Amino acid sequence: MPHIVTENCTDCRFTDCVAVCPVNCFHGDGNRVYIDPVACIDCGACVPLCPVKAIYEDLDIEGERTVWIDLNAELAASLPVVRTKQPALPGAKERMSSLGFAGHEGA
Amino acid sequence: MQGEKTIIRGSCPQDCPDGCSFIYTVQNGRLIDVKGDPAHPVTRGRLCTKLNDFASHHYNPDRILYPMRRTGAKGSGQFERITWDEALAEIKSRWTSIIDEFGPQAIIPCNYLGHEGVVQGLNVGDAFFNRLGATVAERTFCAVGREIGTHLTVGPSTGVDLESLVHSKYIVLWAVNTLSTNSHQWPFIEEARQNGAKVVVIDPFRSRTAAQADWHIPIRPGTDAALALGMINIIISEGLVDQDYVDRYTLGYEELAVRAADYPVDKVSSITGIPVDDILTLAREYATRQPAVIRLGVAIERHRNGGQATRAINCLPALIGAWRHVGGGYLGLTLSAFPMNWSAICRPDWIRKGTRVLNLNSLGSILLEASDPPIKSMMVYNINPVVQAPNQAKIIEGLMREDLFVVVSELFLTDTARYADILLPATMQAEQTDLMLSWGHFYWAYNHKAIDAPGEAVPNTQLFRLLAQTMGFDEPEWKRTDDEMIQDFVDWTSPFMEGITLERLKREPFVRASVGDKDTRRPHAEGNFPTPSGKCEFKSTAAAAGSFIPAPNRSGYEGDQEGTYVDPLPSYQAPFESRDSSPELAERYPLNILSPKAHGFLNSQYANELKQKRRQGSQIVILNPEDAESRGVKSGDPVRVFNDRGSFTGSAVVSGDTMKGVVVSFLGHWASDTRSKSSVNAISSDRMANLGKAPTFSDNLVEVKVVASDEAHRDVQTSSMTRRSVVGQV
Repeated sequence: MPHIVTENCTDCRFTDCVAVCPVNCFHGDGNRVYIDPVACIDCGACVPLCPVKAIYEDLDIEGERTVWIDLNAELAASLPVVRTKQPALPGAKERMSSLGFAGHEGA
Repeated sequence: MQGEKTIIRGSCPQDCPDGCSFIYTVQNGRLIDVKGDPAHPVTRGRLCTKLNDFASHHYNPDRILYPMRRTGAKGSGQFERITWDEALAEIKSRWTSIIDEFGPQAIIPCNYLGHEGVVQGLNVGDAFFNRLGATVAERTFCAVGREIGTHLTVGPSTGVDLESLVHSKYIVLWAVNTLSTNSHQWPFIEEARQNGAKVVVIDPFRSRTAAQADWHIPIRPGTDAALALGMINIIISEGLVDQDYVDRYTLGYEELAVRAADYPVDKVSSITGIPVDDILTLAREYATRQPAVIRLGVAIERHRNGGQATRAINCLPALIGAWRHVGGGYLGLTLSAFPMNWSAICRPDWIRKGTRVLNLNSLGSILLEASDPPIKSMMVYNINPVVQAPNQAKIIEGLMREDLFVVVSELFLTDTARYADILLPATMQAEQTDLMLSWGHFYWAYNHKAIDAPGEAVPNTQLFRLLAQTMGFDEPEWKRTDDEMIQDFVDWTSPFMEGITLERLKREPFVRASVGDKDTRRPHAEGNFPTPSGKCEFKSTAAAAGSFIPAPNRSGYEGDQEGTYVDPLPSYQAPFESRDSSPELAERYPLNILSPKAHGFLNSQYANELKQKRRQGSQIVILNPEDAESRGVKSGDPVRVFNDRGSFTGSAVVSGDTMKGVVVSFLGHWASDTRSKSSVNAISSDRMANLGKAPTFSDNLVEVKVVASDEAHRDVQTSSMTRRSVVGQV
């Protein structure tokens, strides 16, 4: 029953989520973050903090987007933990508005 | 029109060490949101997977909103709405005739910690039932065994502050699944780990917490005392003792050394199933990587030797002088920092001389076998014993008695409430006033009533005011407001309450008890143990008085204690149901079963919420690959778990997360949701542990078999949830 980071994180990576995670279950690469499904305790603290609504409970993901369930498990295992908030990626602000979300102080 | 949003402050009502601070948002009289408070030093703004939907839980359409009278057969779940006046009149008439014929001891309350606040919680009905003259119900469902073990060793210490854990260098999480049942503690552990601490988990099962530890040590269920005595022996024989601390601040070191010498490492390894090298490494690291802290979970008590296992473990910190350090020592329960005026709460002076005490862990036997007088009526509140208490089938058999008048005050039609003759509607936390304490941290929090109760639901305090009036009691106790009760119940004169008043508690969202600063706090750096000798008692002086149960767990009653022999030194006894103690039984039922708390439920609470059912999935039965193979069980197979007491069904999960010989099935699923109409406590025994009459949920042998194919077919048709849970939880 873990939470999953989906497509909206890619090229944004605001990482407000990692600061609130009690179990440090976010792992990341240059583009985005993933949740380690074994470590996630499903507390949901990260969900409201994501400015691009990229994080969902696995049971709420349907259709083709279920690909993110396996991708989070697979890639989190091979990437380093991201413990502290990182600067958002260049272009994150533009990507956020192209995704239809209003401004964010981190961008 | 959208009304203004109002913020009201509260605190989580659940029986959980975390005690989260709540921010209620109310609009147009409706609770629209419940969030954690980011300013709370421990809970830091988040709730948990159980409570995240707490606002909508208040509006669950299954809430009991009005008093109801049973219309169908017992347990059929058929009721009709009646008025409060009719309900109270029927209770009065039935209780009066029972008292006339059998005396008031034919009535027994049955309650626990469905709410855990100062006025709505454990003791809310005690004064009423004492005044009525009812049988005193002893409630030792959780932690009393561990606490007696602790008290006999270090006294009712407040222990290590969880906020001090950031200073620890060696953290042993023993018999606790922190990430599921105490998750707000984890960030402190994680911070310590970033500072170089090693996190060790001792647990037969690879829990979520064990999976995140630096080192998971699987241990055979019920053998923890042998491990602790073995560690003591290694620490002593290898010269790792803090002799100065032991000389100044402990009692009975020589005797402890002799007792521990009976547990050489080879023997401990063969009892516990832990390799010799691991035991040696654990003892050496624990003794030398200070500050070392042991966080002991309640699960430690759930077998025959539970109390003495706690005693043995509690000797370790003093032996190595861990208490000298900030973040070193033992963390069990912080409850001593929340002082209560128990006699004002429970009114034990109203208990009539010679009143009997019956322990609710034997509820089935109480209902079926108590005599002189037999139990003719039971009132149930704050508890769902059909799911939570041992020996489910016997409890149900008792509840089915036609001549037993059962009154249940509840939020929902639980597996227990189904057997009510009269159902009464209870309030949920946003609809009531309470002062919340914590058994995991040091912060009080006042829960302000945020919204009106739905229908005709009443808080527990009001329920007992109404019952008192109905029964013709006219003492001033029944006319107090909730705040007046809080004022009377808290011991404001205690040093822990310095600077704290009711006004302040109502004004501020949370208030820290006066226990010292987290970054300098060393409660037993120089002894000062609240024991008879003031020392850490390896050899307990209080043991001489024999076994006892604390008054708050028995309606304030000090009398009629059992006083049976208690070994003054920590000791090991094999579990009741084990190859060592009962070889014939172990032949028929070779598997030991554990029933840990489900991650998605709080005991049986929230297990009726669709969202939580979806998250948790249905009942699973986890088997070690070797045990599964020898029984022809594959993951996803429907299986039946059984012994002479009963059986339940679940979906098999084959996994190395559990040890060979150990089956794991989570607690909390409602029996009414399952095909077998039973849940994991169908197989548990009502035997009690050697201290504190703790239940022995981890001391039960079972066998597991694949359900026959015709039955399996039905299972697949009725439970898509089962398939989902296997995918979600392996």
